[in-house]
Amino acid sequence: MIVPYTHVILLAALLFWAGMICTVLRRNLIMLLLGLEIMLNAAAVAFVGAGLHLQQIEGQAVALFILAVAAAEVSVGLALIVCIYRQTGTLDPECIESDACELE
Amino acid sequence: MTNWTLFAPELFMLAAAGLFFALSLARPQPARDFAAAMVVAAIGLSLTVWAVGAEGVLFAGTYRVDLFSQVFKVLISAGFFLVICLCGDLSGVADKRHSEFYLLLAVCTLALMLLTSCVHLLAIYLALELSSYSLYILVCLRRGREKGLESGLKYFIIGACASALMLFGFALLYGTGMSLHLADLARELPGRLHEPVVLIGFVLGLSGFLFKIAAFPFHFWAPEVYEAAPHQAGAYIATVSKAGGIAVLLRITAAAGAGGDQLVGFLMVVSVASMTLGNLAAIAQQDLKRLLAFSSVAHAGYVMVAILSFNAMGLSSGVFYAMSLLVMKLTCFMIVIQVSAGGNNIRINDLAGLHRQAPVLAAALMLALFSLAGIPPTIGFTAKLLVFTAAAENGYLWLVIVAMANVVISLYYYLRVLKAAYFLEPEDSASPVRVPAPMNFLALVLIFFTVAAGIYPQPFIAAARALTHALIG
Repeated sequence: MIVPYTHVILLAALLFWAGMICTVLRRNLIMLLLGLEIMLNAAAVAFVGAGLHLQQIEGQAVALFILAVAAAEVSVGLALIVCIYRQTGTLDPECIESDACELE
Repeated sequence: MTNWTLFAPELFMLAAAGLFFALSLARPQPARDFAAAMVVAAIGLSLTVWAVGAEGVLFAGTYRVDLFSQVFKVLISAGFFLVICLCGDLSGVADKRHSEFYLLLAVCTLALMLLTSCVHLLAIYLALELSSYSLYILVCLRRGREKGLESGLKYFIIGACASALMLFGFALLYGTGMSLHLADLARELPGRLHEPVVLIGFVLGLSGFLFKIAAFPFHFWAPEVYEAAPHQAGAYIATVSKAGGIAVLLRITAAAGAGGDQLVGFLMVVSVASMTLGNLAAIAQQDLKRLLAFSSVAHAGYVMVAILSFNAMGLSSGVFYAMSLLVMKLTCFMIVIQVSAGGNNIRINDLAGLHRQAPVLAAALMLALFSLAGIPPTIGFTAKLLVFTAAAENGYLWLVIVAMANVVISLYYYLRVLKAAYFLEPEDSASPVRVPAPMNFLALVLIFFTVAAGIYPQPFIAAARALTHALIG
């Protein structure tokens, strides 16, 4: 393995932070969902790196499973978001919570 | 050669999910769906009881059928059966959605049964996600309540964050422990718990389960979800889903051996924060379901006390606590369902006059609340006694003192509910509570169980010890 294992873990941790910041700070449900996806994929990167480091196939198998689970998660999340958008007409989580900014 | 008979209860639950899927395609008939659900749940329960003695390993070592998993499967399907029993009046969900409701409950039960048997990190992750996804949708099925969607979304976001954290923790554990099998990790990791990577891996890895049992810092969803979900779904989340979460948490902590100082410290913070926050917040609640939600946050704290003992005694007290929570919370939700007219939420004062209109229900409520507060002779007292003894024997005396102080705080709001049920006079406009005969019978069974396991807990304690023995091996 050319790239050292620690570098892969650092990259995964950075990605994970990026995803988490996106989830926490963005005021848009779609971006929030994207942040969750980035977090999951960061975990997948960490798994692939660990699998390469240990010379095992399991790490990559887990990454494949994560892809499938992430797809299922997006479908549940998007379904919820579509329902909420139909009801409230907004994608801003704070508006939905407080009914502060109703559409004219 | 895979021995499929070991897998029979899960296969049956999968078939049941298929049946409900077929029913959801047909013309909606609530009575038919309810009858089908009752039959399915009863058969599922008897199948799991039949499979208690089974032992074996399936699917290349990722799935372990042992006494621990089988008894938890009995608990889970018993909880599923009781929740279905409460679905006779499913007025909180639109008629055409009843079969979907049962479909999601069945899928979630299947996932929780899988969860108790998984001994492989990937399998645990998949089972946990399967159960969570069903619950996200179940919460949103409440009829005519915009808040339902919003709290469903909150549940989804917190759950997805927790499971992403958990997955990252698993990746770190895999990198250092060199395997995804819990048995290999249990050989490799306990000696290395002082290493930062292993510690972070464990702490992150636990977050998914902390979310499942609504412990601090993943407890925000509990009050909103309990309040907004259909009552039956709330009952399911409070009992069955929690039992599954506790089961897998016990399995994972058994893999951590004696636990390092830092890990125990982290769990102590989680435990103290959960019970204090839960109990203090519950005092201010008016909505009965919100009160139950905060009380279950507090109970997650007590469960953590059992888990952070990291020995056989602590683990067996955790098993007993899971069992007692199932009985107590189910009784409380039964009263919520019976008292609420048309699936609406009830406030504490709506319980006024319950002791005259429905004496059996009121007695069940009293015993369940005493049990939640830990007053003898109830199952809750025995559970708390076991948990606190385990912690005290490990030398965590101040933790036990904090927990006892919390028990006293919790007594206040439990008694407030009791006061409403026994001493307040109902307003004239309130419609009287009518309790069908089967519900009275169910209440009597739950009362019997609560008291019997409080007065004569030895068989249950012995069973919990045997389970722990199977877990540690």
